[in-house]
Amino acid sequence: MSDAALSDLRVVDLSQGVAGPYCTKLLAEYGAEVIKIEPPGGDVSRRLGPFPEDLPHPEKSGLFLHLNTNKKSVTLDVATTSGVVVLKKLLAKVDVLVESYPPGRTDEWGIGYEQLREGCPQLIYASISSFGQTGPYRDYGANSLVAMAMSSIMYNTGEPHREPLATGCEPAGYFAGLQAFAGILAALAYRERNGGGQHVDVSLVESVAAADEYNAAMYAYLGAIRRRFYSRHVFGYPMDILPSQDGYVVVIPGAEGFPRPLLDEGASPMSLLLEDLELDQNPLFQSMQERYYRWRELDELLLPWLTTHPSRQIVETAQELRMPFALVPTASDLLEDEHLAERDFFVEIEHPGGAKLRHAGAPLRMSETPLHSGPAPTLGQDNEAVLREVGYNREDLGILRDRGVI
Amino acid sequence: MAELPLNGVRVLDLSHVFAGPTCTRILAELGADVIKVEARQRLDISRSLIMTDNDIGDQPWNRTCYFAVHNAGKRGITLDLTGEQGRDLLSRLIPHSDVLVESFTPRVMKAFGLEYETVRQLKPDIIMASMSGYGQTGPYRDWSAYGMGLEAASGISAATGYRDGPPIRSGLSFTDPLTGVLAAGAVLAALHYRQRTGRGQFIDLSQQEGAIAVLGAALMDYQMNGRLAQRTGNRSSWAAPQGCYRCRGDDDWLVISIENDEEWAAFCRAAGHPEWSQDERFADVLARHENHDALDSLIEGWTRDQDHYEAFHLLQRAGVKAAPVLNGKELLLDPHFRERRHFTVVDHPVLGRRPVPRHLVARFDRFEPRVDSAAPLLGQHNREVLQGMLGLSDEELTSLEAEGVIGSVPLMDLPADVPFEVLWEMIQDLLRLSLEKMLEMGAVQAVEPDYRQQLGL
Repeated sequence: MSDAALSDLRVVDLSQGVAGPYCTKLLAEYGAEVIKIEPPGGDVSRRLGPFPEDLPHPEKSGLFLHLNTNKKSVTLDVATTSGVVVLKKLLAKVDVLVESYPPGRTDEWGIGYEQLREGCPQLIYASISSFGQTGPYRDYGANSLVAMAMSSIMYNTGEPHREPLATGCEPAGYFAGLQAFAGILAALAYRERNGGGQHVDVSLVESVAAADEYNAAMYAYLGAIRRRFYSRHVFGYPMDILPSQDGYVVVIPGAEGFPRPLLDEGASPMSLLLEDLELDQNPLFQSMQERYYRWRELDELLLPWLTTHPSRQIVETAQELRMPFALVPTASDLLEDEHLAERDFFVEIEHPGGAKLRHAGAPLRMSETPLHSGPAPTLGQDNEAVLREVGYNREDLGILRDRGVI
Repeated sequence: MAELPLNGVRVLDLSHVFAGPTCTRILAELGADVIKVEARQRLDISRSLIMTDNDIGDQPWNRTCYFAVHNAGKRGITLDLTGEQGRDLLSRLIPHSDVLVESFTPRVMKAFGLEYETVRQLKPDIIMASMSGYGQTGPYRDWSAYGMGLEAASGISAATGYRDGPPIRSGLSFTDPLTGVLAAGAVLAALHYRQRTGRGQFIDLSQQEGAIAVLGAALMDYQMNGRLAQRTGNRSSWAAPQGCYRCRGDDDWLVISIENDEEWAAFCRAAGHPEWSQDERFADVLARHENHDALDSLIEGWTRDQDHYEAFHLLQRAGVKAAPVLNGKELLLDPHFRERRHFTVVDHPVLGRRPVPRHLVARFDRFEPRVDSAAPLLGQHNREVLQGMLGLSDEELTSLEAEGVIGSVPLMDLPADVPFEVLWEMIQDLLRLSLEKMLEMGAVQAVEPDYRQQLGL
C-alpha cells in the first residue's frame, strides 16, 4: 500500500476564502491531516455560491466544497479567550498553522506568530494576506481584481482602446495558495535540516506579480513599456484565439509553422493546414514582422478556412503538423473531454452534506505517493473527535458549546 | 548567511521557456544547485525572445531578457542528447543528482532513452518531474503546447473577456507560472518523502490539469445549475460596483471593488460624493448590481480627474479595495514591491547589472530565498560541471566540443551557399522587435532610453 508524501504532517487551518483553503486542500491531497478551524458561523465561502438552484445553504456552496475536500472541520471562536486556550491545546501536536487574517489580527487575539513560537518552537506559521506582513501597503485590502491590477498582467490584457481586463475565474487566490504551499514545504525542509519552525509570509498581490512573464523585464532590459494589444505576445502573430465554425481555437503556428526562407524546403505546416500551398509565396507568410503589423490582412487569409472547419478538426490537424494549436473548452466541455476522461482526472465525491459532484482531481500524479481526494466537511463535524483527542471530555465540550466557543 | 533549505540538493533541468524554468528557478532560490541542460543544436527557445536593448550584439543567445529573468541562479551546460556521447554524459550526471525536471512531450524523452524507468536505474532515489502540456498518458499526450494555448485548454480563456465579447487570452502565458509553482511544491513534497523513506518517484504533471483547479466554482455551477461561466469583463457576481476605471493621464486606470454597504458609503465619502450613498438606485448590493452601468458612469466621472496612485491610497485608507493598474515600469518602481525586495539586482557578464524578480514570493524569518548569480551564458559551466563532477580531462572536453556535443556557441543547420551577411541580416530580422512600429500600433506605450538611470542601475 502506498503512503502519502505528507502523511506525517498535521495542519491547523484558520484561513477562509480561496487562498488559504486552496493551500490546505493541496496539503490534504498530499496526505496531511488538515483540521479546519471555522468561526461558529463557518468559513465565509460557505456563504458564497454557487449553490444548487441559487439557494444559499452553508453545506452546499460549490466554492466551499471545491476548496475544502479532505479536511476535518472544528468550529472554534479564536477571537475569544476560551477559544485561544482550546487552539493552543490543539497546536501542541501540530506542524503547520495557516491563517489569512489581516496583518496584526491574530496578534490581537494572542495567537500571533511571536506569541505562539515559545510554546510551539517547531511550528511553521503561514500567514497569507493581501499585501504581506510588511511594507507600506500592509494594511490595504486586496482581492483577485486588485492583485491582477498590481501584477502588470492586467495592463497587458485586453483590447488596445478599451479598459484593461482581468483574467477570468478570479485566479489570484490559487496563485497565493500555491505559493503558500511551496513556502510551507520550504520551511519544512529547513526544519528537517536545522530544526525549528518559522513564519512564512505570503502576499496575494505578490503571488500574481510573480507570474509576470516579461512586462517588467521589457522595461528593465529595453526601457520599453509594453501595452495590451489584443492580449498578444510581442513575439509575433498569430498567437491568439480566433473563431472557428463551431466556437474558437487558439492559433499558434509556433517556430516552424510559417515558411522560414533559406531554412525550410517544401510546404509550410500553415499552408498545409489551410490547404493552399500558394500561401507560402505570400509576403505575410514569409515575414514574421509583416504578420505582426498587418495582422488584419493575415486574418483575412486565415478566417475563411477557420470559420468553415470545426475546432476539433483544426486542432487535431494542426497538431499532426506539429503546431501547438489548442482548444478553448468551457467547464462542460472539460467535464466531457475524452483526454481527461482517459486520465481519470475528474473524481466524483459524495459529500456528507448530501451533494454528489465531480471535482477537479489531483493536479499532478506521483508514482509512489498518489494524491487523494475526499469529501468536504460539514460545519463542526469533527468537534468532538478532535477535541476529545486533546483531552476535553463530554462535559467540557458541553460548556464550550453553551458559551458559543465551538 | 543562513543556510538555505535545499543546499546540497542538485537538480538537472532539461526544461525550456517558462513553466519548467519557473519550477527550477524556485528550487534555485531555495539553495539547490540547478544545472540547466541545453543543446547547441536546440537552445532554450527563450534565448531568442526579447533582446536586451533590442540589440542582438554578437552573441544574441546570451542577450535575451526572457532567459535572464527565468534562469538566474542556475548553472548551464550544453549536451546534445540526440547523440550517444551527450546521452552518456547525462547518464553520468544523473547519479550525482537528486531531481530531474523536464517539460518535453513524452515522445522526446522516449527518443532520448530517458524515461523514468531508465533514469531510476542510474539513480534509484531520483525524483523525476515531467511537466508536459497534457501529461504522460491519454490521447493528447503528444500534443505540443505553449502556455498561451494551455490557458485556453484549461478552461480559463472561455471565462475571460469583455461582456458579450469573444474569449480573450491573458497578456501572458498564464498557466506556465501557475504550474511552475505547482511543480516546485510537488518536488518539495517528494523530497520530504524521500527524506523519510529513502524513496524517489516519478511526477506526471499535466499543465492543463494543473490549472483546472482555478475553474473550481465554474465546474460546480455547471453541475449544480447547468450554467456556464459568462464573460463579464471585470465585473463580479459578488462585489458591486466592481470595475476598471479610466484616470487622469494617458493610459492610467484604477480598479475598484466594493463588497458591501459600508464600503459603498466609505467610497462615496472618500470620493467627495456622499450624496451617491443616498441615491436609491444604489441603495443596496442588489440595486448596485442592477444599475451597474449608471454607477460606472458616475464613478468614471470622478476617476477621470484622479491620479491613479493617489486615488488608490485615498480609497484604501478609507477601507475600500482599489488598485492602480500597473504597467511593467510601475511594477519595478512601486514602493511596496521595492521595500519587500521583489526584485534583486544580479550582475550578468554580458548585460551588466539587471533586476530579476522572485519566483517564490513567500518570505521566511529564518532565511531569505535568493539567487546569487545571473542566468548562465550558453555552456558557461561546461568545464566546471563536466570536469568537477565527472572528472573529464581537458583533451576530452576539447574533443567533445569539436564534435558539437558541448560548446558555447549554437550550431544551426544553415545553408552553405548563402553569404554570412545575408544570414545575419535574416537573423536580425527574426530576433529584433520593431519597437517604433509597436509604438505606432500601440503594442508598446513608450520606450525610455534613460531607463537604467530611472531604475538606479
